[in-house]
Amino acid sequence: MAQIWPIGGGKGGTGKSFLTGNIGILLARQRFKTLLIDADLGAANLHTIIGLSHPDRSLSDFINKKFSTLEETVLQTPIPNLFLISGASNKLDIANLAYEQKMKMLRAISRLDYDYILLDLSAGTSFNTIDFFTLSDSGIFVCCPEPTSIENFYRLIRSVYIRKIRQILKAHQFRKLAEEAEAGNPNTVINPEYLLNALKEIDLEKGHMIERILQAFQFKLVLNQIRKQDNSKIGILICKIIEKHLGLKIQFMGNVGFDERVHDELCKKEPFVEKYPFSQATIDLKALTKSIVGVTHGQGELPAFTLSDVNTLTG
Amino acid sequence: MKRLMEQNFYELLGIEFDVSSFEISRAYKENYQLYHEDSLVSYSLFSREEREKILARLDEAYATLIDEKKRSGYDQSLIECGILKEGMKSQDGRKTIGLISDSKVSTNNTILAIRNELKAMVSSNPVIQEILTHDALWGKDLKRIRDELGVSLEIIREMTKVRMTFLRAIEEDEYEKAPSRMFLKSYVKVYAQSIGLDGDFVASRYLNKISD
Repeated sequence: MAQIWPIGGGKGGTGKSFLTGNIGILLARQRFKTLLIDADLGAANLHTIIGLSHPDRSLSDFINKKFSTLEETVLQTPIPNLFLISGASNKLDIANLAYEQKMKMLRAISRLDYDYILLDLSAGTSFNTIDFFTLSDSGIFVCCPEPTSIENFYRLIRSVYIRKIRQILKAHQFRKLAEEAEAGNPNTVINPEYLLNALKEIDLEKGHMIERILQAFQFKLVLNQIRKQDNSKIGILICKIIEKHLGLKIQFMGNVGFDERVHDELCKKEPFVEKYPFSQATIDLKALTKSIVGVTHGQGELPAFTLSDVNTLTG
Repeated sequence: MKRLMEQNFYELLGIEFDVSSFEISRAYKENYQLYHEDSLVSYSLFSREEREKILARLDEAYATLIDEKKRSGYDQSLIECGILKEGMKSQDGRKTIGLISDSKVSTNNTILAIRNELKAMVSSNPVIQEILTHDALWGKDLKRIRDELGVSLEIIREMTKVRMTFLRAIEEDEYEKAPSRMFLKSYVKVYAQSIGLDGDFVASRYLNKISD
């Protein structure tokens, strides 16, 4: 069965598509059959990153039922073992999918026969983005070491967790419980931990159940475009503070160095990791790819993130 | 926020009950890094009011634990609440290296242990490693390394017995403050050694640039 990794981030321009495309290439070069899906339907450009200028079919053809199966929208790429479902579309309404459409899409995606499927999501906290995270219970958040990016990242994280809690509550028909919890403390809307604690006070058993589901989330954080003068520990500190204050465990996956040449390669529409195999950014991307393979194959699995790790690292 | 405010000072700083003052200052600095007003890490996470509350609480924790008298009083109160057991109490077998010079407690062994710990941090820290590749080392470079390690000048004074004025002069490149070039060299050397660096290596790179 394919390993599905949604890749998103609160803000545009953090390098989600760049990471998705290049990690995809690295996985394919290791002979993993890899599919990239551009789910950034309003602003798709993953095809450009891997060097495909004019995709002749896209995800919208499946959504609009032009093709009856998702397989028919898959494109070959110049790289062996790498495939793409483009998100390029000129239709305006396609960026807003109904929840059922997303469910249908994810079901179709999970039936596809690949080793890895990377989903490039759109920026922001629209339900399009959030639902792909909540539906797959895993994913990578991409963030830059800038206040704007970090602010939007925190917003996205909260939205994902709150949405998940609501979905669970709704599925178990205790919407009333959620409303009560929210009414008790206005902060619950922005803080998953408050909400969880409030729920526990109302109904301990159900609170614990939600806690278990939330703990199954396997979210990771990647900090992209790290420059020399940036604090390289910032990703670890972000995960630490999220655990401390939002009560959520997110695992820091690594930094990817800033490289000016990324811009030039995008302009030339050439894949970066192929052109600069020994640059710092490529070395960082290879390390990320390695940990993705490690996680999914259970070998050398990344250790769960703990506070004591942080202390030794930041020591 | 309530939860953070309910934590005792040790939990708040993320330290054990028996840590030395060196570790208390380090933990305080780490936490300050997370919560100070311009911190990128916690940007947008707290309201101004919340942030002020957290910082005030951190300051209170630091001021209490760094002062031996206040700390043992605080420990006593934790013992009374049943949070801390008598045996874990701070005075018993604490690896102490006091901020305020006290030769009885700051034994050579403690200093050696800290130095070894710092050495490990030096070799695993990319920022420090990068600085050490420079041909010339400036006072600000040493300060940067010291900040990366989270060591205060007071601790260095404690370990080296070099006066504060000279330690500051080293970091500010005010060479004229040292009695002579020989003194300056040995001050830089012990400064470097105390934070786990190669003393001769750093001293020569530091003095290189002022040879004329």
